Amino acid sequence: MSDTAHTAHASAGASPARRRPLNLAYLGLLPSWLIMGFALLLPILIVAAVSVSTRGAYGGFEWGFDLTGYSQILFNEGWEGEMEFTPQYLIIILRTIVLAALTTLLCLVLAVPVSYFIAQQSSSRKALLVYLVTLPFWMSLILRVYAWMIILGKDGPLPRFLEVFGAPSGLSLMYNDGATLAAMVYTYIPLMVLPVFASIEKLDGTLIEAAHDLYGNRWVTLRRVILPLTAPGIISGAILVFVPALGAVLEPILMGGGKQMMMGSLIQLQFGGGRNWPFGSAIAVMLLVFVMIVLIILALRAARKEAAA
Amino acid sequence: MKKLLTGTALAVCMTSPALAEGTLNLYVWSDSIAPDLIEKFGEEYDITVNVDGYTSNEDLLTKLQAGASGYDISAPSHHFLRIMIDEGLLENFDAKELDAFNQVDERWRNQWWDETQEYSIPMAYGTAGFAVNTAEYDGPTDSMKYFFEPGEDLSGRIALLSYPDEVIGAAQLYLGVPFCSEDSSEMKRVLDLLMAQKEHVAAYSSDNIEGRLGSGEVAAHFWWDGTMTKALRSVDNLEYAMPKEGLVGWMDSWVIPKGAPNRENAIKFIEFMSTPENATAQMNYYAHSSPLELIEADLVYTQEKAPALYPTVPVEMSRTCSPKAQDLVTRVWTQLLQ
Repeated sequence: MSDTAHTAHASAGASPARRRPLNLAYLGLLPSWLIMGFALLLPILIVAAVSVSTRGAYGGFEWGFDLTGYSQILFNEGWEGEMEFTPQYLIIILRTIVLAALTTLLCLVLAVPVSYFIAQQSSSRKALLVYLVTLPFWMSLILRVYAWMIILGKDGPLPRFLEVFGAPSGLSLMYNDGATLAAMVYTYIPLMVLPVFASIEKLDGTLIEAAHDLYGNRWVTLRRVILPLTAPGIISGAILVFVPALGAVLEPILMGGGKQMMMGSLIQLQFGGGRNWPFGSAIAVMLLVFVMIVLIILALRAARKEAAA
Repeated sequence: MKKLLTGTALAVCMTSPALAEGTLNLYVWSDSIAPDLIEKFGEEYDITVNVDGYTSNEDLLTKLQAGASGYDISAPSHHFLRIMIDEGLLENFDAKELDAFNQVDERWRNQWWDETQEYSIPMAYGTAGFAVNTAEYDGPTDSMKYFFEPGEDLSGRIALLSYPDEVIGAAQLYLGVPFCSEDSSEMKRVLDLLMAQKEHVAAYSSDNIEGRLGSGEVAAHFWWDGTMTKALRSVDNLEYAMPKEGLVGWMDSWVIPKGAPNRENAIKFIEFMSTPENATAQMNYYAHSSPLELIEADLVYTQEKAPALYPTVPVEMSRTCSPKAQDLVTRVWTQLLQ
């Protein structure tokens, strides 16, 4: 035992570059690898496997290889009994993307001034304001949406307020795209404010002064100094809002009245009443691939910018 | 290692507040079982009862299909019960040998969804149709026409459910199309009807029906007889329509999912819930009709107080659709909401 140890020591001393001691640091990461593997990767792999399996007659699936789930996104049997191009799923997917993009844009437009305002406050008030921004997260999402249903609903505070300005009585602002969007923006805006605030707070005030000294007006300063420097916060905020907004189910149904299906409800329908798990999984995989592509593009652009700087 | 795990498990059990003989995990319709009955059962048999809820048969079927759920009892509607038996998702607990079976009304025994009555004991039944807020709408309700082809007074003020199951059934009753039709031209007529109705519809949502209809946000809503009856406790002015075309019927039954960890406790619970005293208390809470023998004198929802539960029009029980028919239903629904 001591012999081998001695030899090992000797040879290690002879060529330190060739023999490295076992790096135990990787072992320390084992728990996080296990969590990543079992809680994140495995479920995704299962969904991917289901998407290429054969559909069960009453829901469920049988292992196999079958791409029907994917072809159904574009082609289905029509009312005449012939296979035809069916744009309805593309329409639903596109509508979902547009809704998520609009939500992200509105969140951004509202979050930048709010974050800027918070960043200007004294440190104790700053802490309080950031706490207030996160406050809604302490309550369940469904309750927050219900609160909006009361605010916009018949005889709710907002229609009542508008009546003062001549709106017809008994007005309801529910069940339209605007109501959906309002609830979506409300739900996701803290996810935008926090990262944007973090990068605005780090902004060096002297750089803004320097921009003014160099005869940059406010617009130029915003565009050429403030926005580029806060871009990392804006991009991570946009990702944090856009990605979960793609899967929104509650707001479109409760606020929008569910008259136009979103991707979340479409997937739900396929696993439920539609009894078509492979198709539901195929849409989920497509959503995942789309999100990945968007994220990769953003990451590449960020990396290129960093390299340029 | 095993010892260590057992030790940890024991320690966890010891620290949990209710140190009971056994456990029973219920997966039932949300808010469907009288809480005091659950408490009474837990005390009487020294069993810790956990309750989870679902809001659609599809949710339940999906969960059971996904594999070991850990649940001991569930209550699918009859047309899903048939699928679950055929797909081997349920335990055969020889239900017909239980005392509970003798409490079941003759007309609900050995139906097509469980002919041999080995897998299920009926627990509640009812209908699906539409209800109106009489403060907002005082027109006629004796036909589905007013709901599916609304006039001026209901335009923009009706709401349906967020999933197709019973809505399509009601539309089929109205058009005279058989349930689970495999004829695509018939189902196209169903789609055309719902498409024409859509411009008058405020929402397709199964959540918060009571609030939406009770507040007058909408004036007519697709609903269930008992749920509406229960809502009358806090909202006035609700009336369940009795359309001449008929209502869509359903029957929920207790079942034991395959591989249930506490099968014996599940049987105890089914027996417990089926005694006349407890069945009456359950109906007084749930407000859906009971297929069991009741103590009439203690019944809250009598014909006089709850006319919705005593339909005066034909009731057509939902069927178990073939995959082909179900695909047509899904196609109608997707095109309606595309």
